[in-house]
Amino acid sequence: MEMDANETQSKVVVSSSPPGGISLRPMTLSDVDDYMVWATDAEVARFCSWEPCTSREEAIKYITDSVLTHPWLRAICLEDDRPIGYILIMPVDNIRKEIGYVLARKYWGKGFATEAVRLVTAEIFKEMPEVERLEALVDVDNVGSQKVLEKVGFTREGVMRKFIIMKGSVRDMVMFSFLPSDPFK
Amino acid sequence: MEIDLSRVSIRPFSLTDAHDFLRWAGDVRVTGNLRWQTFTSEEEALVFIRDVCLPHPWRRSICIDDRSIGFISVFSESGDDRFKAHIGYGLSHEYWGKGIATRAVSIAVTQVFNDLPHVLRLQAFVQTQNKASQRVLEKIGFKREGLLRKYSCIKGIIHDVFVYSLLSTDLLPLP
Repeated sequence: MEMDANETQSKVVVSSSPPGGISLRPMTLSDVDDYMVWATDAEVARFCSWEPCTSREEAIKYITDSVLTHPWLRAICLEDDRPIGYILIMPVDNIRKEIGYVLARKYWGKGFATEAVRLVTAEIFKEMPEVERLEALVDVDNVGSQKVLEKVGFTREGVMRKFIIMKGSVRDMVMFSFLPSDPFK
Repeated sequence: MEIDLSRVSIRPFSLTDAHDFLRWAGDVRVTGNLRWQTFTSEEEALVFIRDVCLPHPWRRSICIDDRSIGFISVFSESGDDRFKAHIGYGLSHEYWGKGIATRAVSIAVTQVFNDLPHVLRLQAFVQTQNKASQRVLEKIGFKREGLLRKYSCIKGIIHDVFVYSLLSTDLLPLP
């Protein structure tokens, strides 16, 4: 479960119009240097299940073993086709999927995660018509990521207490869902 | 008919429960909401008690005068998630509405936190229309955390469910 996109106030003036211009594509090994930008960042890693990456070799191994083998994962890219993060869908059971995403800190607060989640949510119900429920679990302290989901139109269903163990500690998580019949905001 | 709740107890199943087991586990009013099949013979019941109930990490018969009238099951998730356990229960239809499930599940949760010290969270998923079961959990002190839409698929039907939890650190109300 990879999740982090913090959209709290940034120190840079942010345009209020939708960012657009993001595209999704499979990750490749040649993305390793861009991958390391967010994977080495402890603030990005804070609410993710992984520890920050410490070397290029480690990054190559992780991309090979976990990223390229993932059943559904897409790089989030800007116009230059370089990834600034990724978004993924995990199977829960045959009718439920879970969405997760991670973004480099430099691109937080600009609407990129919101746009990526919106695109993928719309896409996933078309690609997988058997899916009845798309859910997301966000740490109670990860307010930025909660805002991303709310902006897309996910329903905040409640706080599940002591629900997930992350880096050895048991965390309260906010449960969100989106159904095929739900409207986008 | 009022029942003296001191007659209610919980204990592990035994093979000799097969006849009583069939009375409630053969009733679709009891099994309809559960993942359980509806049993059709004492033979089936016996096999199930032997192969599923007896080896189960934590399953108890709800009894009145030591006669089986229902069940309570607790199962932990595996690996790192073993701190989380799911509780489920069912009761013979003739004993509904008398506080028996509340008494039995209340005894069970105290035992579970003792027997399974790695369990920090007990959770239950109850269909939205099953108000009686929701009341059982609320009376015991479970907290309703939210409504999970299209969360549970039981016997091919997808349901919205309320999720309830009781943490080992929650104070239990006085019995």
